[in-house]
Amino acid sequence: MKAPAFTYVRPQSLDAAVAMLGQGAGEVQLLAGGQSLLALMNLRLAAPDLLIDISRLPELAATGEDAEAVTLGACVTHALVEDGRIPDPSRGLLPRVAAGLAYRAVRTRGTLGGSLALADPAGEWPCVFAALGAEVILRSRAGRRSLPCAGFVTGIYETARAADEIIEAVRVPKLSAAARWGYVKLARKTGAFASALAVAVADPGRGHYRLALGAAGGPPLFLAQTAALIGEDCRDRDAYRQAVAADLAAAADRQFEEFEMQLHTAAALRAIRQVLA
Amino acid sequence: MAHEHAVIGASLPRKEDARHLEGRGQFTADITMPGMMEVAFVRSPHAHARIRAIAVPPAARGQVFTAADLPRIRPIRITTQAAGAKSPLWPPLAVDKVRYVGEAIAACLAPTRAEAEDLAAAVAVDFEVLPPVVDAARDMRGGRALVHESWGDNLYIERLIEGGDIAAAARAAALTVTREFRMNRQSGLPLEGRAIVAFYDHRLDEIVVYAATQTPHTMRVALAEFLEIEARRIRVVAPDVGGGFGPKARLYPEEIILAALALARDHPVRWVEDRGEHLLASAHTRDHHCRLTAYADRDGRILGLDAEIIVDAGAYGMWPQGPYQEAAMAARNLPGPYAIPNYRARHYTVATNKAPLGPYRGVGRPGACFAIERIVDEVARALGRDPLEVRMLNMVRPEAMPFTTIAGLRLDSGDYAASARLCAELLDLPAVRARQRRGESDGRLIGVGFASFAEQTAHGAAEFVARGAAIIPGYESCTARMLTDGSLVLMVGIQSHGQGLETTLSQIAAHELGLDPAHISVRHGDTESTAFGFGTFASRSMVMAGGAVARASRLLRDKLCRIGAHLLQCDPAEVRVADGAVSGPRGQVAFAEIARIAHLRMDGLPAGTDPLLEASATYEPGVGTGVFSYATHGAVVAVDPETGFVELVDYAVAEDCGTMVNPMIVEGQIRGGVVQGIGTALYEEIPYDDEGQPQAGTLADYLVPGAAELPAIKIGHLHTPATVTEYGIKGMGEGGAVAPPAAIANAVRDALAALGAEINETPLTPRRVLTAIAKARAAAA
Amino acid sequence: MTRIRLTLNGAAVEDAVPARLMLADFLRERRHLTGTHLGCEHGVCGACTVLVDGEPARACLVLAVACDGCAVRTIEGFGDDAVMAALRASFHRCHALQCGFCTPGMLITAYDLIRRGKAGDEREIREGLAGNLCRCTGYTNIVAAIAEAAAQLGVSHHGA
Repeated sequence: MKAPAFTYVRPQSLDAAVAMLGQGAGEVQLLAGGQSLLALMNLRLAAPDLLIDISRLPELAATGEDAEAVTLGACVTHALVEDGRIPDPSRGLLPRVAAGLAYRAVRTRGTLGGSLALADPAGEWPCVFAALGAEVILRSRAGRRSLPCAGFVTGIYETARAADEIIEAVRVPKLSAAARWGYVKLARKTGAFASALAVAVADPGRGHYRLALGAAGGPPLFLAQTAALIGEDCRDRDAYRQAVAADLAAAADRQFEEFEMQLHTAAALRAIRQVLA
Repeated sequence: MAHEHAVIGASLPRKEDARHLEGRGQFTADITMPGMMEVAFVRSPHAHARIRAIAVPPAARGQVFTAADLPRIRPIRITTQAAGAKSPLWPPLAVDKVRYVGEAIAACLAPTRAEAEDLAAAVAVDFEVLPPVVDAARDMRGGRALVHESWGDNLYIERLIEGGDIAAAARAAALTVTREFRMNRQSGLPLEGRAIVAFYDHRLDEIVVYAATQTPHTMRVALAEFLEIEARRIRVVAPDVGGGFGPKARLYPEEIILAALALARDHPVRWVEDRGEHLLASAHTRDHHCRLTAYADRDGRILGLDAEIIVDAGAYGMWPQGPYQEAAMAARNLPGPYAIPNYRARHYTVATNKAPLGPYRGVGRPGACFAIERIVDEVARALGRDPLEVRMLNMVRPEAMPFTTIAGLRLDSGDYAASARLCAELLDLPAVRARQRRGESDGRLIGVGFASFAEQTAHGAAEFVARGAAIIPGYESCTARMLTDGSLVLMVGIQSHGQGLETTLSQIAAHELGLDPAHISVRHGDTESTAFGFGTFASRSMVMAGGAVARASRLLRDKLCRIGAHLLQCDPAEVRVADGAVSGPRGQVAFAEIARIAHLRMDGLPAGTDPLLEASATYEPGVGTGVFSYATHGAVVAVDPETGFVELVDYAVAEDCGTMVNPMIVEGQIRGGVVQGIGTALYEEIPYDDEGQPQAGTLADYLVPGAAELPAIKIGHLHTPATVTEYGIKGMGEGGAVAPPAAIANAVRDALAALGAEINETPLTPRRVLTAIAKARAAAA
Repeated sequence: MTRIRLTLNGAAVEDAVPARLMLADFLRERRHLTGTHLGCEHGVCGACTVLVDGEPARACLVLAVACDGCAVRTIEGFGDDAVMAALRASFHRCHALQCGFCTPGMLITAYDLIRRGKAGDEREIREGLAGNLCRCTGYTNIVAAIAEAAAQLGVSHHGA
């Protein structure tokens, strides 16, 4: 399986990269880690005419920290997160997620921004960043804008990123000391795509309670009623079970099979159990 | 002859390792030659269609070859002796019809594979899509469509085998248990895909084909036949081969096409199969559907089995043997290691619009073992008895052997019940039961399951003839050639692709000759340098090739002793071989010296002894009906009843393959086979949709076990040497893959016993487990 | 064609390559280093694992042009490195290879596990091997070989 031909450019700055977008005919793709894009191209499921290599742009590798949040450059790799080499706003959640993503040799090249831009329904980062209430910062010739990660993914492999925008960074609010999280990835094999994914974040310090499901056939699915129960510090298993069932039933557009319902339910309840433990 | 060193039975580290550890192996895709062009195929996107036209872009003319452009190619034809068997002609490049997604339509040549794929993408084929046959059970008599128009139905073959009186067994039974079992279609998936390099050697006037194959000599037979070239003008070489497991032991259209291209173009050509192609167009495997009824008395003694077996064999039969052995082998092995007196099996081998079915580790036996070992458990459960006890009750006893089963397998020797007891011991069954009773803190359910089987190996001519086989792989060959300095080359007809035969065959020659294995080379896989042999498959190489090596080595030893005795001025009866020399009562003479004389100083030879030190021999075991390895496997699982996920907590094999030449290598074969069997049990499947489209195209969909999914696999050995083979060896290699689906399905059954859920279909995916639990709960309500 | 310069197994290399050429094909076809094998070309099987700037990477999912200025190490390029030598010896002793196709990728992944102190116990080693498929050995001996090499080198946990 060999990729179709394309033109390759490696601009030296983010400004230069941004300037290339939305210009001229032909399909343009951004190349960060390439772990998803190049696989698709090898399979001839993607055939861009121009590949813009942004993997070495220093602006995209930068990380920053202030009192409220940590900003992670779009080209921060999963391995850097796994190894704890970035400031961690999530009290251990981000490294835990990174360690279970694909395989080490993929994690050394795959990036946070790449995963967000791809928006694979089974992808970990869209779900995790949405659960944490993070923002994605987008850059275009017009300047910068930020969007909440919750809602950034609009469909299967679809996001709110415009064709002339590059994901510059993810800004993740810091969890307070009292925060608790739960993370459950159900997969048939270590490193495989998730069959079910549940991320629960409970931060009483900020009044932030979210339960997001991934691998749910579309954008991350928020279980609002269930999250509200977490916010109330509910300890009733049956109440949670009912809330999860109601939240899943409310997601009528997803059309889950019975089997999928069971997996999502199990993942959600186990993530909640981690939070409450 | 006394021997200094116990080389047979020694776990010698392998000679093969050095090159692979350095990354210096030579696999077919590693071979490049000046002027070589790469090939990519245009393959059918439809399961069943007529080809109306093939449009090649003008710029690509001369670079794209359809069937019309390679007229010398004859269609692949199987000559089976099996009465009533149907065999389709298989044109290597499709002519007027395609019959499975992935079937080759045109070969595209370019300097790089990427450019060849560009060409393939530019070729436009106009199809008239036809309804496909995808349901073997439903469409075996025709109905929806015919895969081969000249047939009246979609059956390669159907058979009935019977023994005893099944109706009497049914009447006498206190218990009747019926189940349907399904072992779904999958791939053998060696890590190296197929690959071919072909070129015409002007100096030798021969076409040379390097191929990732398990059977180079038989490939030459096929190339000669289907290209109409004399065999003396064809050389086939299997260099390093990255796993075979069966799918590389059959002829493929691409091999004929590449050879024809090399002749047509007069420059080397190379085709390297990619993983997508492998999942599409390399032999698919398994795909068994078995409906089985067991009749038992109230103690669990099985009085009779009544079976219907359907194998979905895909669109074409694979040369040389065709698809006939899969269902036939399943039917013959369904009675397992048991003394079952009454039997009836109808088996059907069905043509469908799917990729052709080929052999894969165990062939028909994993499917058969799945059915019989699951039903033994159901018989036991119905009677409230322990499944292991019911197994042992039914097993053929050692004192009854040789015992011919009701299906005609002549079990030679072994203590099957001892393997069951040893397996339980390896798992520490009482501890597992105690853990099961305690319960898991995470709510998962522990279960333990067993499966036993006997594996026919190294069967000879009579057996294959009885099966109506097209070719009879009933022997192997060896030429042992000692060179001018006393070093030794063994040239053998098998092909080692992971089994360590470069090491183990040299152990045998070392044993016979008293020569250090370090001074012995094994040459295999090359039709140029080895006498005819059938290749490596069917767990046969150690018995067959080992036997041939032993014979040839002894002939050589006898000549060395004659010459040595002459040089030592004593009687040949007074000498022996040891430490690379012939030793007599008054001294010794090194092989190097004898070799020098036999080649360079013939004046030193005894009268009546010719120069050279070379001996050739063939070998087949003393009994043609095979020698039977056997084993009991045990699996401990933890089943998550909320998600259906199954974790393998422990796995043990208690096996007997007679004398082991290299125990370390034997254990490696067992473990490798077990993990492939675990793949069948829990992970591997190529589903097809109603349009005949395969649904697993990458390794993201097609899951194989990784290290993280597996426990360490425990092995215990029993030793019942064969009486009719060299050193008492029994064949082994496939057995590991035979029992895991049954053992694991039985373990899951045990875990879910309180719920009454059964899963009788592989792989036991979380979806299937949850569906079974839901069904059991609904039935209980 | 794009010019690239990189360090390959310690030596400076220059070439002009098509943009779409993957590192694996660059190594195999243009540098005749065929020890890096292709088993899937979509990042799952691990047979193509090499080191890029010291980190394991899938050579089938890295463009050769993206390696301009990088240091690449393949199975042929370890010389008498002590960790690789220990691994080779233990793989040989423990019968951790059969057909040899997965072996180069397996050794490089094992090398990285030991270097990062992630070869502490069987569970950790097995998780670390998730990205390297083997169809022949059943993994038991590979895990044992890595544990043995790590013990011998005196590194098990956290690079200690």
